[in-house]
Amino acid sequence: MDPAHNRLFGLTRESAPAPRPRQPEPSSDGEVSEDEEKVNILLVDDRADKLLALQAVLRELNQNVVVAKSGKEALRQLLQTEFAVILLDVSMPGMDGFETASLIRKRPATEHTPIIFVTSMNQSENHVARGYQLGAVDYILTPIVPQILRSKVAVFVELFKRTEEIRRQGERLRELEEAAFTRRLNEAVDRLEAETKRNRFFTLAPDMLGIGHFEDGRLLQVNSAWEKILGYTEDELKSVHPFDFLHPDDRPMAQEKASTLIHGSPLGYFETRVRHKDGSYRWIGWTAAAFHAEKLVYIFGRDVTQRKTNEQKIESLNAQLKQRVQELTDINSELEAFSYSISHDLRAPLRSMQGFADALLEEHGDRLDSTGQEYARRVVNSAKYMDALLNDLLDYSRLSRAELERAPVDLRHEISELLVPLENEIKNKNAQVEMELASQTVSAHPATLRQILANLVGNALKFTHPDRPPVIRIRSEQRGRSVRISVEDNGIGIAAEHCDRIFRLFERLHTNQAYPGTGIGLALVRKGAERMGGSTGVESTPEKGSRFWVELPAA
Amino acid sequence: MPGNVRTILHVEDDPNDVLLIARALRKAESSAQVQVVTDGEQAVNYLSGTNAFSQRDQFPVPSLILLDLKLPRKSGIEVLEWIRAQPGLKRIPVVMLTSSKQPIDINRAYDLGVNAYLVKPVNFDALVQMMKTLDSFWLGMNEHPSTARE
Repeated sequence: MDPAHNRLFGLTRESAPAPRPRQPEPSSDGEVSEDEEKVNILLVDDRADKLLALQAVLRELNQNVVVAKSGKEALRQLLQTEFAVILLDVSMPGMDGFETASLIRKRPATEHTPIIFVTSMNQSENHVARGYQLGAVDYILTPIVPQILRSKVAVFVELFKRTEEIRRQGERLRELEEAAFTRRLNEAVDRLEAETKRNRFFTLAPDMLGIGHFEDGRLLQVNSAWEKILGYTEDELKSVHPFDFLHPDDRPMAQEKASTLIHGSPLGYFETRVRHKDGSYRWIGWTAAAFHAEKLVYIFGRDVTQRKTNEQKIESLNAQLKQRVQELTDINSELEAFSYSISHDLRAPLRSMQGFADALLEEHGDRLDSTGQEYARRVVNSAKYMDALLNDLLDYSRLSRAELERAPVDLRHEISELLVPLENEIKNKNAQVEMELASQTVSAHPATLRQILANLVGNALKFTHPDRPPVIRIRSEQRGRSVRISVEDNGIGIAAEHCDRIFRLFERLHTNQAYPGTGIGLALVRKGAERMGGSTGVESTPEKGSRFWVELPAA
Repeated sequence: MPGNVRTILHVEDDPNDVLLIARALRKAESSAQVQVVTDGEQAVNYLSGTNAFSQRDQFPVPSLILLDLKLPRKSGIEVLEWIRAQPGLKRIPVVMLTSSKQPIDINRAYDLGVNAYLVKPVNFDALVQMMKTLDSFWLGMNEHPSTARE
């Protein structure tokens, strides 16, 4: 490398990074321009005349010129003040210029301060080489040419100023940046803290919380509830469009909701089916809100499968129940029609049988022998029996179906009423009827109660003992919250093994000849008592008599 | 009314019942003249004097109507409703004579303004007794309304 190149290089290298300045000493020259700070120039020479000459030349630059008469003094000055450039005399007694320069260079603060050596022309060869080795930036040869000196120093003054300005600007910039950075940092810390707290809720929530991209709806963040409820990992959820998880039938609705959301309308609660990883569907109830500025959608989802399943169960049970009720209603109305038909249509031929057998006997009896007349009478009796049977059956079926509304019933009144149509029979059989009513009222359906008691009294009058006149006692007594009404007779009695059977439909213990009856009466008594929330039974001793009872709620 | 003979219109589709009731009325010594029609439509025709019944001297307006419930073409209830809506006929006493004891039928008939509701007894003697009472009450004791106008 040739020296010229080296020099050039050295200059560039030396001048670029500027040392940190200290505040310059107040100028003694007093000529300070308003807006431009003066820089310091250090002149080092042992000869006062030379110093004066240099000072005079540099005064024009209008900077702060400091003088030092020895290397030592120069070093002292350099400890206190920062200089834009040092003009250093090479040949000084004691510490010469080179020695001074090497010491200056050793201090980091002055390592890069430009040094211009001042040397005499005859010594220049020798000095230049050494000077450059010590990091000089330039040379001034004596005798000094003032313009050259001024322009060389002015370059360094200008350089110092520029560097200083850049440094200050850099500093200002750094301060601004630092402030902005600190502010951002604080904000970030605050946000982080708040977010951490929110994140705890986010993590803890048993419901699905998620943040989705505003435009394409993709999930950006989900909490752990998603995986618990739907089985997909966070990555799986984020990698697919959320609508792909929806039941195909629910997609159009969800699509509509999404466009509502994007158009800025508030979105109400809605429910969709979502496919679980295992292939089953879960019912999820959703709400969501869009934040246009952030381009985010906040999503909330709750697993409502259990509730939905229950609802569906209830719905299907309800439907089944409705259907069952309908079936029962149909059956019931069929039964109604059936009873109606029994009542109306089956009795008409009976009436004819009876009526014409009667007419036959009356109008043509003289042409029939006794057997023929007997046959005609049998037709009449059979028709009568069948009529009774139909009547009882109708009563029984009506009792099974009808709504029996209960009301307080006065027992004495009801019993007196039911005895009226039996008066003839009582008289004919020479029967005695006694009433001992300890309880006067009972809660019952009046007509049904009368029917029950009429049946029991009728039986007491029917199954009489041939050896004694019938005595019938009708009693009532309070038993807890019930009233027991009993009909006691002194008739033929019932063997214990039959006591239960006789309450069943069509059960009979005797032939129709011995004791006529349809086998329905006691079944009707039991059905009626049960339909009114009561019960019935019998205590009996054969050959001595029976006591039938009905227990009904007290009024 | 022609002479003193009262007319009973008997609306009954069962020929056996027609015969039995005619016999029962005879045994009850009723003097009423019985006109029989066998369905609801004929009853309406008879009462309005249309079609085959245009001759009033042959088919006079009855003093009493015995009406069965279950009839072909028009039910007894429909006939009753129609009678009560006819200005010239609405006051004629109507007695239901039927086999049905169903409360729904009984109540419906009374709601439509029937004058009595009788269930045909199976026992013939009871039927005779019923016809005797019917004849003496409705055609004897009972005061008859004049034909209503408007």
